[in-house]
Amino acid sequence: MIVTTSPATISPAPRRAASATAIAGLVIAALVAIALPAFTTGYVIYIANLLLVFVVLCLGLHIVIGETGQFSMAHAAFYGIGIYASALANRAVDLPYPFAMLFGALVAGAVGLFIGALALRMRDIYLALATFAFGEAMQWVFANWDSVTNGPNGLRISPARFGSLEILSDKQAYPFVVLFCVLMIGLTILISRSRLGRAFRAVRESEVAAMAMGIDVRRTRVIAFGLSAAIAGFAGGMFGLFQTFIHPDSLGFQTTILVLTMVVVGGLGSIVGAVGGAIVFGLISEVLRQAPQYQEIIYGGILILFMMYAPRGLFAFIGDRIKEVRRGQ
Amino acid sequence: MHDLLEIEGISASYGRIQALSEVSLRVPEGAIVALLGSNGAGKSTTLNTVSRLVPITRGSIRFAGEPIQAWPSHKVVSSGILQVPEGREVFREMSVRENLDMGAYRRSDAAGIKRDLERVFDYFPKLRERLRQKAGTLSGGEQQMLLIGRALMAGPRLLLLDEPSLGLSPVLVQQIFAIIQRLNKDGLTILLVEQNAAIALGSSSYAYILENGEMALEGPSETLRRDDSVRRTYLGG
Repeated sequence: MIVTTSPATISPAPRRAASATAIAGLVIAALVAIALPAFTTGYVIYIANLLLVFVVLCLGLHIVIGETGQFSMAHAAFYGIGIYASALANRAVDLPYPFAMLFGALVAGAVGLFIGALALRMRDIYLALATFAFGEAMQWVFANWDSVTNGPNGLRISPARFGSLEILSDKQAYPFVVLFCVLMIGLTILISRSRLGRAFRAVRESEVAAMAMGIDVRRTRVIAFGLSAAIAGFAGGMFGLFQTFIHPDSLGFQTTILVLTMVVVGGLGSIVGAVGGAIVFGLISEVLRQAPQYQEIIYGGILILFMMYAPRGLFAFIGDRIKEVRRGQ
Repeated sequence: MHDLLEIEGISASYGRIQALSEVSLRVPEGAIVALLGSNGAGKSTTLNTVSRLVPITRGSIRFAGEPIQAWPSHKVVSSGILQVPEGREVFREMSVRENLDMGAYRRSDAAGIKRDLERVFDYFPKLRERLRQKAGTLSGGEQQMLLIGRALMAGPRLLLLDEPSLGLSPVLVQQIFAIIQRLNKDGLTILLVEQNAAIALGSSSYAYILENGEMALEGPSETLRRDDSVRRTYLGG
């Protein structure tokens, strides 16, 4: 994590140590990311691309659940809107692919703002159910709006173009996927540290107090929902960088639950948790693909274990153990 | 002295339940005015109508001469009305410093914010010691101090204090009220809601007593303190 707050807000000494660790982690991650294509097969690169897309999906869910404390059970729907919108834009106009990605993010964000304005009149379980219903409805739209999405046959995604460069393989796409993922991590950190991010956390911790401080709570919740949807839509655009095909089956509730699990396993409320959760849990689910009959059971087991022993997530759990060891010395 | 806050014949309801009917009260600039009454009499509701968390169905609310009953709550805060909600509504997972920063959420004058931070430390030296501690780990008294300090960071003209004595030991109540007096001497106008009538009458200049959502009695605090029926009903003797 990059630390750029004014030093007065947070104690300087532990922060410096934390940021040193974070920078070391970042450097290692960057080296691994750069070196990866040289040593591995196309399949590993494909998995890496997919994991990075899930990292961005987790960042989006982190904004609405982790930062603002609002349920959203429609993340796969916004992801899907981003995939279809950027694929269709890419096909319709002859512009570099990032324009199509931005279009996907904008459409998803706009739908998110609209749904948020409606659904956020409710809260807690009612909000969860309302967004769940929207997610299911969207999957139905993907599967049945034949003229736009090609319905249950799925949609072919034409190759992304950057000027004269056409992306035809996972390895070609990989550097762009890494770049966009890093950009989105940076953007999320910026949002989190902005005045808006402070309003998000204030709303999460106490709506009464947030209102008393002059925060427009309703507007803040809707903005969080819209931003979260836009980031999910952008992840959809990233998916189109290396995928050639999208089918509505992969945009259902299971995907929403997968992203939710990643964010919870990583640690609700922290960006490190969202990113790390996506990578760790994404790898676990990839390994589990070898034994699909046990996959769901093991997912469930992992969730229960985390809820019981590490409710603040994997990284807070590791951090606490490290502190204990240090104190023990 | 002119009235900073004028509440004129307001009514409010929660669904079908009438919470306030035809309530009027005035808070002169520079005064501490107390609003008393038993549990459920409508004291907090009255504060919530001023901060626009509860809508009114009749009447008017004026602040510094301007009608504010149609404003959104964040505009009320910007205009200088700060409510200190009851029930220890600190941002528990944020540090004391971050809580104070949240108080200045609607401000952008860095110099003024810095000056007010020093002022908060002047009133509540304990907060400076606890700056990095999470607000949720503070004691009850410290949380109450943080709540008032956080409201001061918004640069208020009128402070709406909701039950500042709630759940505090007698010594801490004395401390908090000494600070409330000091804030008032330094020029802050305060509307104080309290169940502890003795201390509220002792520190205010004028008081109103609510009963079942209606104004039952009003008068200078000193007079009410000596009134036999008030003593019997609200001061326990």
